[in-house]
Amino acid sequence: MIRTAATARRTTSNAFQTRSFAQTALRKNKLPTTNSPIVNKLQFINSVTGSSAQIPTYRVLDGVGKPIEGAELPEIDKAYAHRLYEHMQLLPALDNVLYNVQRQGKISFYMTSHGEEATIIGSAAALANEDEVLGQYREMGVLLWRGFTIDDAMNQCFGNEKDGSGKGRQMPVIPQAAGVGYALKRDPNRRSKNIAACFFGEGAASEGDFHAGFMLASTIPSPTLYICRNNGFAISTPSTEQYYGDGIAARGPGYGIDTIRVDGNDILAVLNAVKEARRRTLEQGRAVLVEAMSYRVGHHSTSDDSFAYRARSEVEDRKRIDNPLTRFRLFMESLGWWNEEAENELKASIKTEVMKSFKRAESLKRCELGELFTDVYGGEEPWNIKEQREELSQLLKKYGQVWEPWRSELSKFKNNGKDLLGSQ
Amino acid sequence: MNTYQAVRDAMSIALAKDDNAVVFGEDVAFGGVFRCTMGLAEEFGRERVFNTPLTEQGIAGFGIGLAMMGHTAIAEIQFADYIFPAFDQLVNEAAKIRYRSGGSFNVGGLTIRTPTMSVGHGGLYHSQSPEGFFMGASGLKIVIPRSPLQAKGLLLASIRDPNPVIFMEPKILYRSSVEQVPVDDFALPLGKAETLIPGSDLTVLTWGTPVYNSENAIKLLQNPPEVLDALIPKSLRQAKVELIDLRSILPWDVDHVVESVNRTGRLVIVHEAGMTAGAGAEISAEVQKRCFLKLEAPVKRVAGWDVPNALQYEKFHMPDSIRILDAIMETLSY
Repeated sequence: MIRTAATARRTTSNAFQTRSFAQTALRKNKLPTTNSPIVNKLQFINSVTGSSAQIPTYRVLDGVGKPIEGAELPEIDKAYAHRLYEHMQLLPALDNVLYNVQRQGKISFYMTSHGEEATIIGSAAALANEDEVLGQYREMGVLLWRGFTIDDAMNQCFGNEKDGSGKGRQMPVIPQAAGVGYALKRDPNRRSKNIAACFFGEGAASEGDFHAGFMLASTIPSPTLYICRNNGFAISTPSTEQYYGDGIAARGPGYGIDTIRVDGNDILAVLNAVKEARRRTLEQGRAVLVEAMSYRVGHHSTSDDSFAYRARSEVEDRKRIDNPLTRFRLFMESLGWWNEEAENELKASIKTEVMKSFKRAESLKRCELGELFTDVYGGEEPWNIKEQREELSQLLKKYGQVWEPWRSELSKFKNNGKDLLGSQ
Repeated sequence: MNTYQAVRDAMSIALAKDDNAVVFGEDVAFGGVFRCTMGLAEEFGRERVFNTPLTEQGIAGFGIGLAMMGHTAIAEIQFADYIFPAFDQLVNEAAKIRYRSGGSFNVGGLTIRTPTMSVGHGGLYHSQSPEGFFMGASGLKIVIPRSPLQAKGLLLASIRDPNPVIFMEPKILYRSSVEQVPVDDFALPLGKAETLIPGSDLTVLTWGTPVYNSENAIKLLQNPPEVLDALIPKSLRQAKVELIDLRSILPWDVDHVVESVNRTGRLVIVHEAGMTAGAGAEISAEVQKRCFLKLEAPVKRVAGWDVPNALQYEKFHMPDSIRILDAIMETLSY
C-alpha cells in the first residue's frame, strides 16, 4: 500500500520532493498530509463508533425516575430540583392556555413544548444566564428560566403594546451561532466566560445552514454549543425520512466536533451533558454538539394536526410510557422532596397565575400603528419609508373612521392609531 | 373544487399521464401542509410522491437533476418565504442551464410550486410575495393563478412547458376560492394576461389575491356604500375600469397590457410585494416607454410598504380594496 502511494506520487512533476514526502510518510505509516493511518485492508466505513453499534445515549434516570447503576447524579438540592420541576410544569400550563387561545382566534400562532420539557429546561439550567442563546421556536422554557415572566410570554404571543421583544412583529426564528461565538471570543470581557448556545431541531439540520454553520464553527474555532432537539418529527416528516445515518450526533465528528447523544426526557442527564458540553466549549474554545432525544407530543404548531400522519395512540403511549415530567417527579418523590399535595398545589398555582396573566395580556392594546414603519433601518430613515408612512397617514385620515375593516382594526392599536391619524 | 383540490387534480393528471413525473417536497407524502398533495402518495406510490428532508436548496437541486435527465420534476417549496435557500439553484442553475450548454441541456421538466402572499396573520415568514426577486432571472418563468380553474390549467401548462417554472399559489385562495373546474386534462396559456372586466377609462393590472381586492374596489367605486358616499365624487362613479389578471409575471404579457393602457390612458398596478423593485416597477417602466403619449396620468402602484410583513400590522400593510379604490380615484382625477 505504501509503495503504491509512493509510486503514484512519483508521477507528479517534482519527483524528488515527492520521494521525500513518501519517506516521511513511510516513517510514520501515515499519509503525509493527514494523521490517517495506512492500512492494507479494503474497508469501507459507515459508522463513527468504529463498530456497527450506533452512538450511545447518555442517561441518568430510568423511565421511572430511578438513577441507573453507575450514573453520576448532578449535585442538586431540593430547592433547585423544585425550581427545575416548576419550570417544567410551567411549560404545559402555558401550552394548554395559549394553544386554546389560538384556537379561539385570539392569537395568530403558537408552538407547544409538550414532551420536550426536560430537554429545554435541563439545557437552560446548564447554561450560564449570560450565555447567548440562539433559539429556534420551541425554547420558551429557556427564556422563562432566565426570568422572562409569564406576562412577557403572554404579551409576546398577543403582540400587544407591552411586547418588548418585537413590538408585535415577532415570529420565532433560526440561527447564526458560529459568528456569535466568535464575537464572544473577541470580546475581552466575555472571552472564556460565555458561550453561544444554538438550539435547532433534527429537521433544521437538513438545511444547508446547518452544514455551513458547523463548517465555520469547526474551522474558525469559537465557543459555540449546538443543542439539537431531536423530537422525531419535522411537522409531519418523521426523523426516519429526515436522515438515514446515525442521527444528528454522527455529523459532529465529521466536523471534528466533540459530540454527545443524551436522553432528552431525562432532565438530569440533559443537565449533566449540557454542563459538561458547556465546560468543553469554554475550555477548548471550540464547538460542541449535544443531540437530545425526545418525542414531540404536541402538534408541530397550531397550524398542524398531527393525527393526520401519526396515530393518537402512539402519542398517548409515549406520553404515558416516557414522560419527562413524571420521570423527574418520581425521582423527587423517591428522595422525599415531592408528594401529591405539592404536585396539586403547584399545578393549581401555575394555572391561576397563567390565567391571570392571560387576562392581562388580552386586555392590552397593540403598539402604536406607526411602529409599522420603524426599525427597518438604523440611522437616517430613507425617503420611501417616510413617504409611505405619510401616504398611509393620509389614507387613514380619509377613510379610517368610515371604512369598517380599518375602523375596527384601528381600535386594536394603542391610541386607536392617533399617532398616524393625527388629532381629529 | 377549491384551489388546493384543483392543484392536486392537476398533479394527479400529470402523474397519471407521465410515468417520468414525480412530486416531492417537505411533508408532501401525508398531503402537504396545505393539502395540495393529499392522497397522491397512496395513489401513485412513495417512489413517485415523496418527502424530502428540510432543504430547499436540495429540493431545487434535486429537481434540476431529474429535469436534466428528461424527467418531470414537480417540487414543492413549503412557503415562498422559504425559497431563498434555493435562490442560487434556481437563478444560477435552473435559469441558465439552457444558455450555458448552448441549448444541449435544459430543465424544462422542472416546476417549483410554492404558496405565496398573505393570509392576514402570517407575519414575517409566511406572508411574502417574492416574485419580483426572480424577475431578472431570464430562463425562468413565473406564474401566479387567481382561482381553482386557473390553477389547474396554468399548473398543467407549467409542468409541460419547455422551461423551468416557479408556480406561486396564493395561499389564502386554497380554500376561499371555489369554482367549477373541468375534471379533464386542459391547459391555459403561459405568458398571457386575461381581461376580467372590460373598461375604457382606467386599467387595473394585478395578479393573485389582489385580483379580488381590485374587483371589490371597482364595485365600491360604482356602487359606494353609504359610509363612502361623501368620499367618492359622483363624476368618477361612471368610469369604466378595466381589470386585468397578469397571470404570468415572467415573461409578462406586454402586448395585452399596452393595448389596454393605450385605450384607457391610465394604469394602476396592484401587488402585495413591497413597492421598491417589485414587479410593478418593471411593468411601469415599460408601459411608460410604450404608452408615453397616451398616458393621462402617471402609472400608480399600490403595493405593500417597503417594510417586512409585520404580524399585527398586516391589515394596514396589504393593498386592500380601499387603498386600490383611492388609487383609482386619484388616477382618474389626475
